[in-house]
Amino acid sequence: MRWELDPNPSPGKVALTYGLFLALTLLALGVLFWAYGVSPLKAYGLLLSPLGDSLGLAEVARRTIPLLLIGSGLALAFRVGFFNIGAEGQLLMGAVGAAYVALFLPSGPWTLVLMFLVGGGLGAFWVGMAAWLRVRFGASEILTTLMQNYLAYYLVVYLVAGPWKGQFVFGFLYTDRFPQEAQLPRLGDTLVHGPTLLLGVLAAVALHLLLFRTPLGFEWRVLGENPQVARYLGLKGGQLLLLAGALSGLLSGFAGVGEVAGIHLRLLEPAQISLGYGFTAILAAWLARGRPLLVLLTAPLLGLILAGGDALKLSLSMPFRVVDVVAGLLLLALIGAEAASRHRLVWRR
Amino acid sequence: MRKLLPLVLVLLGLALGQGDKLKACFIYVGPIGDAGWTYAHDLGRKKAEAALPWLETRYVESVPEAQALPVIDRFVKEGCQVIFATSFGYMEAVLEGAKKYPNVIFAHATGIKRAPNVATYMADFYQVYYLNGLAAGALSKTGKVGYVAAFPIPEVKRHINAFTLGVRAVNPKAQVLVRWINAWYDPAKAREATEALLAQGADVFAFTEDTPTVIQTAAKKGAYSFGHYTPMLKFAPNHVVSGQIVHWDVIYIDFLKRVKEGVYTAKNLENVDYFWLLQHKAVEMGADYGVPINPKHVPLLQKAQMTVGGKKVSVYDRIMALMKDMQSPKPTFDPFTGPIQDRKGMVRIPAGKKATLQELLSMEWAAPGVVGDWPGEPK
Repeated sequence: MRWELDPNPSPGKVALTYGLFLALTLLALGVLFWAYGVSPLKAYGLLLSPLGDSLGLAEVARRTIPLLLIGSGLALAFRVGFFNIGAEGQLLMGAVGAAYVALFLPSGPWTLVLMFLVGGGLGAFWVGMAAWLRVRFGASEILTTLMQNYLAYYLVVYLVAGPWKGQFVFGFLYTDRFPQEAQLPRLGDTLVHGPTLLLGVLAAVALHLLLFRTPLGFEWRVLGENPQVARYLGLKGGQLLLLAGALSGLLSGFAGVGEVAGIHLRLLEPAQISLGYGFTAILAAWLARGRPLLVLLTAPLLGLILAGGDALKLSLSMPFRVVDVVAGLLLLALIGAEAASRHRLVWRR
Repeated sequence: MRKLLPLVLVLLGLALGQGDKLKACFIYVGPIGDAGWTYAHDLGRKKAEAALPWLETRYVESVPEAQALPVIDRFVKEGCQVIFATSFGYMEAVLEGAKKYPNVIFAHATGIKRAPNVATYMADFYQVYYLNGLAAGALSKTGKVGYVAAFPIPEVKRHINAFTLGVRAVNPKAQVLVRWINAWYDPAKAREATEALLAQGADVFAFTEDTPTVIQTAAKKGAYSFGHYTPMLKFAPNHVVSGQIVHWDVIYIDFLKRVKEGVYTAKNLENVDYFWLLQHKAVEMGADYGVPINPKHVPLLQKAQMTVGGKKVSVYDRIMALMKDMQSPKPTFDPFTGPIQDRKGMVRIPAGKKATLQELLSMEWAAPGVVGDWPGEPK
């Protein structure tokens, strides 16, 4: 008896595995809720409650935006074999670029566009360094991009505590508020910044088309499936890798611009800017199995898990650590289901 | 809509008058188990709920300051009539939320901006810090007192200044070494800062951070310390001398009663600012409830002498006398009574004057004896 890879699982099998894992998780969560003294059914209801009203949907959407942008870029990068773990840092660099344009350049109708260009550019440049090191010296991008997260983190801390610290913030660690021209329009009363959401949807669709409908995409896929074949075919592996990496950095940078220009309206402590979207998006990309279009599905799903956890926290006055366990278990179930559905049990030797 | 508003208010008033429960909701910046700021607010919430049978409460903990608005949205939707936001950093979210929901009453702890439906409140420790400073000055053998500070904002600066004035009243040559950790809740940074201060020779500690970390780290080296926010005697029974203890319930109960009675509405809070002190019983000096000074350290403080108006008195007697005075309805003593210069020699409070509330709330200067970086210090 052994496990072996199932390269092409049937949809029924995938659905069944996901169902099984989710059922197991809900069972475990039920025990948790019950032990905490809450009716499990009520808690399940609350977890799904964001879907039931406009306020909840807005919360899901707000979390979906960065996950969608980063996730679709990462889905591409992972497909090509560039394991960018540094989206969080690239997001922060995007926020830095946006804040620079908003605070220190004369503002006008071009400000928002410039913020996206500079922020996205910084994100792309940031991951570009890691990609170049990989191409030139074979340095593992997993390590370099991961370490770059810390560099970006402390760069933001330095900026908000030092040269960029606001004049009207009573010693707190953030910059002054962005001028009106540097603020993204929001949908109605919500915190959903529309242009960034649109950008995310466009990015997922465009990357999907690029990957599956163009010669460039074909080369990317060959490189990702088998780098040696790519070399025999005479593909320029380095350039392909750089481009895919830079695209994912660009989109992560956009996500950072969206967070500061759409929600916070200022640069602030790194831990408050992103809530770990750069890491959660890795999951969104992974669950999408290298298909950027599928991120349109996985990003809102993860957004729902995050928003549902918040609803739980608020309605039941539950400690945040319990809620973290809930979100963690659900994410674990998704990972487990994804892994299990791609394998099959073989009974003979 | 505008015409409907009074009607809605009347209906709301009627609903309240008919004995329906008033729903008050609390937004916390840290976890309720932090033994500091958030724990104290949550204690206040629980006591208020126990004292007021018509009150129903909700809370949500560890809300990042930038994420407060969605929480407000959600609370309002769940029917919260009064929302307490318990961190200075929630200011913009509270003001934005107040505009969005003009019928909901907001109260913002440590806030400085009000609106018709936003009140501000604070239980302030500066008097208690002065008293603790007296004890610290008497207990330090090296003449160096360590202070682990959260953020360089007026509130914390005011407290460090009051503490330092106390230390210097006993030992005019003493120094208060200040280290900023730029966090309200960060045990790791607090430990680091304490160890650095110990290495610099500090042997008595006070702090602004939401865990007992400073106390525990200092006690390992045998250094005395003063608890912050909640009774911290239990964390180092031999080394906690005293501390600042808050009673948020006093403010919460008063505020909510007035809301219930209709005195406070969503229209008239523009000038409602609680700045409650010893005399209002909103704060207490103590290592534990009702224990102003750890009995183990009383003899030390009785032996220590200080000069007040040319006469020698024991530090213990001085602390007790001042505490009694400041707890009385009409206190005569105030730590910030001039003449007071800042550490650069500039006169900040002229002789015979007391600092005004405005001066207290916007204090940026450093008292003489404060040693260390002081972001935002006036030139």
